[in-house]
Amino acid sequence: MKLRRYRTASPAETEALGRKIAERLKGGEVLALFGGMGAGKTTLTRGIARGLGAAEGVSSPTFALVHEYDGRLKIYHFDMFRVESWDDLASTGFFDALDSGGVLIVEWSENIENALPENAVRIRLAPGGTENGRAISIEGMEL
Amino acid sequence: MKILAVDSSAAAASAALTQDGKILGEFYCNVGLTHSQTLMPMIDGLLRWTRTPLDTVDLFAVSAGPGSFTGIRIGVASVKGLAMPGGRPCVGVSTLEAIAWNLAHLTGTVCAVMDARCRQVYNAVFRAGGGRLSRLCPDRAISVADLAEECGTCETPLFLVGDGARLCYNNAGFQKIRAVLPPETLLYQRASGVAEAAEVAFAAGLATDAARLMPVYLRPAQAERALKKNKTEGMEK
Repeated sequence: MKLRRYRTASPAETEALGRKIAERLKGGEVLALFGGMGAGKTTLTRGIARGLGAAEGVSSPTFALVHEYDGRLKIYHFDMFRVESWDDLASTGFFDALDSGGVLIVEWSENIENALPENAVRIRLAPGGTENGRAISIEGMEL
Repeated sequence: MKILAVDSSAAAASAALTQDGKILGEFYCNVGLTHSQTLMPMIDGLLRWTRTPLDTVDLFAVSAGPGSFTGIRIGVASVKGLAMPGGRPCVGVSTLEAIAWNLAHLTGTVCAVMDARCRQVYNAVFRAGGGRLSRLCPDRAISVADLAEECGTCETPLFLVGDGARLCYNNAGFQKIRAVLPPETLLYQRASGVAEAAEVAFAAGLATDAARLMPVYLRPAQAERALKKNKTEGMEK
């Protein structure tokens, strides 16, 4: 599938892009987020969670490793920043979540790239243009 | 002896209460809800409707693995919590052994398999006969192809059980040895099977206490592959 590129000028626009992604979700998708600190991964995730109707606050699961949100679909929000081995990964519940029928949003997918399913949607975020601007590419999903 | 047994090692969850081999009650739910939502209400209902006060339970049993990481943790943690206040003994049984108990009445080889993703299964092989099981290998993770080859040398008939049974049954190697797929009702792990396995383990002196009860994780043999893509590429250069 084609790689689509987007530019957002503010966190609000990044969140809006997340809402558009949410409209396409049917359950069972893995959204693999790539991009460093402050790239907008959590902001995009907040948009996706809001778009799915989740009422909970969305924050980076750096310490909890995974946050769960209940929306139109169940959302598993992972942070793989500290995951270094297959054992680490299994202990986050990642493989169980894959079978759950929910949507997985995976921050720091760089760290677990070989564990991503082939049909994972790859979303890369990077600073772009202005201070709050972001360049976001999406591969594996048409908006 | 009253045994309260639970299983939450895979997609379904179940709880059973047995007394000297008789099943007094059993709950089974396979609705995709997390076990943290279904398991405790099932245990509570089971005790209420069998009019069994918790402190009359003599032994607590749980399928301690292999299986889903979070599922096993929920099952083991629940049993620890139930057994601890009364200082009751606990038994953690192999999930594969609990599944194999479904077919202990048959004569032949019982090959218990749980889907471990990526064409791999968690497996143990047993000889069944006279209502008893004898184990032929330890619990392990193995590829379907390797297992099929190994099973070619086993005594027939060979029965497949567990949520990986269909996966194996469709493999050419298992077709060749005419592996048998039992009916749906006998195919999956149930808390009553956990209780049966636990009763044997208890008699063999394998019970422990709540503090020492531990989950037993098995991991598929993907561990040699790097998790990070860049790392793999770097190593190949």
